[in-house]
Amino acid sequence: MNSYITKRLVSAVITLLLIATLTFVMMHSIPGGPFTRERPVPDEILRTLNEKYHLDDPLPKQYFDYMKGLITFDLGPSYSKIGTTVNELIAGGFPDSARVGGLASILIIVMGIPLGIISALKQNKTIDYFVMFMATLGVTVPSFVIATVIIYIFAGQLGWLPSFGLSSPLGYIGPVLALAGYSISFVTRLTRSSMLEVLRQDYIRTARANGIPEFWVIAKHAVKNALIPVVTYLGPMVAAILTGSFVVERIFAIGGMGRYFVESVSNRDYTTIMGMTVFYAAFYIIMVLLVDLAYGLIDPRIRLGKEE
Amino acid sequence: MSDSRFEFVGEISEDLESVRPSLTYWADAWRRLKKNKLSMMGIAIIIFTILFGVVGPFLTPYSYSDQINDFRNTPPRLELYAAGDTYLYLTNDYILLEVSENGNIQRRLERIEKDIFNKIYVYEMDGEAVTVDFSYNTLPTKQGYDYDFTIEYMGQVENQPAFTKWNKSFPFGSDGLGRDLLTRVMYGARISLFVAFVATLVNLFIGVIYGSIAGFEGGRVDNIMMRIVDIINSIPLVLYVILLMVWFRNNGLWNIIIALSSVYWVSMARLVRGQMLALKEQEFVLAAITLGVPKRKIIFRHLIPNAMGPIIVAMAMMIPSAVFTEAFLSFIGLGVSAPMASWGVLANNALSGLTTYPYQLFFPALAIAFTMLAFNFLGDGLRDALDPRLRKG
Repeated sequence: MNSYITKRLVSAVITLLLIATLTFVMMHSIPGGPFTRERPVPDEILRTLNEKYHLDDPLPKQYFDYMKGLITFDLGPSYSKIGTTVNELIAGGFPDSARVGGLASILIIVMGIPLGIISALKQNKTIDYFVMFMATLGVTVPSFVIATVIIYIFAGQLGWLPSFGLSSPLGYIGPVLALAGYSISFVTRLTRSSMLEVLRQDYIRTARANGIPEFWVIAKHAVKNALIPVVTYLGPMVAAILTGSFVVERIFAIGGMGRYFVESVSNRDYTTIMGMTVFYAAFYIIMVLLVDLAYGLIDPRIRLGKEE
Repeated sequence: MSDSRFEFVGEISEDLESVRPSLTYWADAWRRLKKNKLSMMGIAIIIFTILFGVVGPFLTPYSYSDQINDFRNTPPRLELYAAGDTYLYLTNDYILLEVSENGNIQRRLERIEKDIFNKIYVYEMDGEAVTVDFSYNTLPTKQGYDYDFTIEYMGQVENQPAFTKWNKSFPFGSDGLGRDLLTRVMYGARISLFVAFVATLVNLFIGVIYGSIAGFEGGRVDNIMMRIVDIINSIPLVLYVILLMVWFRNNGLWNIIIALSSVYWVSMARLVRGQMLALKEQEFVLAAITLGVPKRKIIFRHLIPNAMGPIIVAMAMMIPSAVFTEAFLSFIGLGVSAPMASWGVLANNALSGLTTYPYQLFFPALAIAFTMLAFNFLGDGLRDALDPRLRKG
């Protein structure tokens, strides 16, 4: 087990370095540097700027310098926000994104999974139809529509919620709902179909035949096995949600990572783009690793570290 | 027993044991899909949406870029005020329009006088003055009215609309530049569906080939190919799109298609690989290998046709998610460039004036939701019809 985790961690680091390299190549292959503006900057200033940020070095040297920084968790200075480092930008944006994203993830788990289970147990009953109807609606409405409707009705017409910012606890309600809406519906549908499949299995019938109380049949035998596809979906989703959604952050005016990311790409702020991409990728890889570890906990038959 | 108790039933002409005609996999799937009402509804909505986008624009008198500035921001429902033998509609930007009794917008009335201090505007219609008094509930001396303005024409003062009519000139209303929203939503359907279909086809092509090679070869090839997939998957989509935009120096339809195609195939590749891993252990593949059938032929003739069911289901689910992603990219300003408009662009444009003109968001959002719903229904139905595991149950 430990050797498996070590192996996965090593491969995660290699993947990260590859991603950083790929982003580096992509960023440096686009025409124009970070200081290209609509109005040309005087050559003198451009040269000084390039010198200051070592952009006049040969590309391989820039690459190795960047990689050296990356290994020591130094993501370099931001090119567009003069005087701040990428580490500071991430440290500034991540907490807000993570708080909203964390609440949304919790909401998705505590709403989506139980609703899916209930709906599967009551298949073709009224409650199943109702839950599935809501869940189908949920996957058809884009998050920006949910967000604008929340703002329009609850912030505009009724005035119950603030329309922007996170300064009051009420401010979280809108972004969390907008962020979670789609995934709650998706998780509900996924849990339901997975539960239905598990409930048809022979071992559930065996468990019932053995006289195990229905509650334990469901809780211990059915739910546990039905959760595998759900966990697979939840891992990458949590990574994406925690690192910020551009749409929700823009509509609710939250200064999170999603906003910085899109801003930095349009400003051609190489280091910020690379830093945030690597940060997101690291998060993603860790979540995928956690998912794989969770498989082992849920289903002991899935033995980790076993070569195919 | 006498013969009279027996009755002659006649010659038996047909086989009593009727043999059901054998159905191919696809005929059987189609038979089951036809029974699924929601799926058929989904297909109907999809066909309708395609017709709506392809044929619709020819039926409206406007093109997607026609601007009639005088008629901007007119909602789908018009509150008409009587003025002599004609009717007037006042927009939220204080434009006074003459509207016929059945809801056709005739013309904009010229404003001849503007008294900002008393909040009284005077317009001119056929040589007569139309006075609109906006001062109610705004001036401190005029508080507590249940109407916000009055319209006076030839001594007749109206403070309540005579009736509410559907907007005949612009059934979905018009936008801030006086463009017909119905036409734009139709064009939006064209663009959104075109992007979705093309991206899905490209994904299908790349994903199926990539996935089957990885799954069939296995071992180190599989390992390397799947690590590449992981890497592509962990770079945000927005980054690809913005890079393409900068590369090609414009933000157009094809950038979105290329970006969607370059990322989305990974999920298809994963799915196909999983199918291949299971299929390649089966006897018919062993037989083919033993007979010396070349690898390429095994993959294309034996393996892919057997994995077609899950592939088609994944495709049906990929189209709505491409529509969704396209809407999202357009929404954050990375979509098709003006004056073209996809549903996401329309929704984005509506955002700034949401409190005053909610209908401008309503129709594109409704179009997206309907399309998503239709493809989801179809996808669910296809899964039930094509999934062999459900056939036994």
